[in-house]
Amino acid sequence: MADHCPTSFDETMISGHFDGELTQATEQKVRVHLEDCQYCRTVLGELRTLRETTMSTAFHTPADSQWDERPQTGLSLVAMGSGWIIAVVWAVFFAGYALWQFWQGSTDLFQRILVFGGLSALALLFTSVLLDRLRAARTDPYREVKK
Amino acid sequence: MTGPRSAPALIAMSSPSEAQTVILAQQGETDALEELARSCRQQAYVFALQLIGHPDDALDVAQDAMVRFFHSLGRFDASRPVRPWLLRIVRNLVRDRARRLRVRRTESLEPADDDALRFEPRDDTPDPEAQATRRELQALVWKCLQELKPRYREVLVLRDYQDLSYADIATTLKIPRGTVMSRLHRARRLLQEEVRKHRCSSEEARDG
Repeated sequence: MADHCPTSFDETMISGHFDGELTQATEQKVRVHLEDCQYCRTVLGELRTLRETTMSTAFHTPADSQWDERPQTGLSLVAMGSGWIIAVVWAVFFAGYALWQFWQGSTDLFQRILVFGGLSALALLFTSVLLDRLRAARTDPYREVKK
Repeated sequence: MTGPRSAPALIAMSSPSEAQTVILAQQGETDALEELARSCRQQAYVFALQLIGHPDDALDVAQDAMVRFFHSLGRFDASRPVRPWLLRIVRNLVRDRARRLRVRRTESLEPADDDALRFEPRDDTPDPEAQATRRELQALVWKCLQELKPRYREVLVLRDYQDLSYADIATTLKIPRGTVMSRLHRARRLLQEEVRKHRCSSEEARDG
């Protein structure tokens, strides 16, 4: 058997015809062509066999216990939001108080290193997360996946 | 032939009950969120499995897809069907995963294994011989599917396993409907060719 339709007929129409996705006029052309073309009738038969095979295949799905993801509920979202706000306010007040103490000169060197080191580490960690978020927002391949 | 290419693009709408569930879920209704999670995660898993071929990897991708799905649910237009959107998220994650693993095709991953895939015939054919033949063909088609290039595998899975319309496939893959038809036909022919090759080589091995 030849590996393509002997006429200039666009073979892709066979798939469109098989799936019922053609316009009425094109559908009519395909029907007429199929009456005369043995090759395309064979192709259509093969498509039917393939489709029957795939559509009769079922897949086991995981049990509910295997899924660890759960959508966040309103309560957990509120808790998370509140937690972040409190943490940021605390960090700002603590940093302000520490700077005030440094300015007054009422702390020794060890205390300065202790507080300055901790605050610097927190600031660097926050900056790194912020930079990652900004980069992700610019390059996120899913930003168009909304609708 | 310009028929299908000139056909107006169809805008798929979600069913009223699905839209209602999505709206309630967007408002934070726990039951709606649970219902959406239950129905979507199995779809996400099966589609990931069909694209990747391995249950454990498919579960990982489906879990990630569900997290992403719920994160962007608030921005989703409830009048649109959920399925193409969900499948698009899964497909993007599968592509990212392949890129991360620096593989072009799944042949560099472990070959798909029938037992690992845990698929079963869902027809009730009483004839055991016919059942065995069908199961054998399903296994062969499944194996050959994993050997197709991702762009062909995606479109074929969406149509012939997921039963999506051309309009929904076009939405999922972000390609024109005409391209869906031509790519799908090419994918089907390539798959048939693979099946033929495998049959020939197994017959030769049996005879020789």
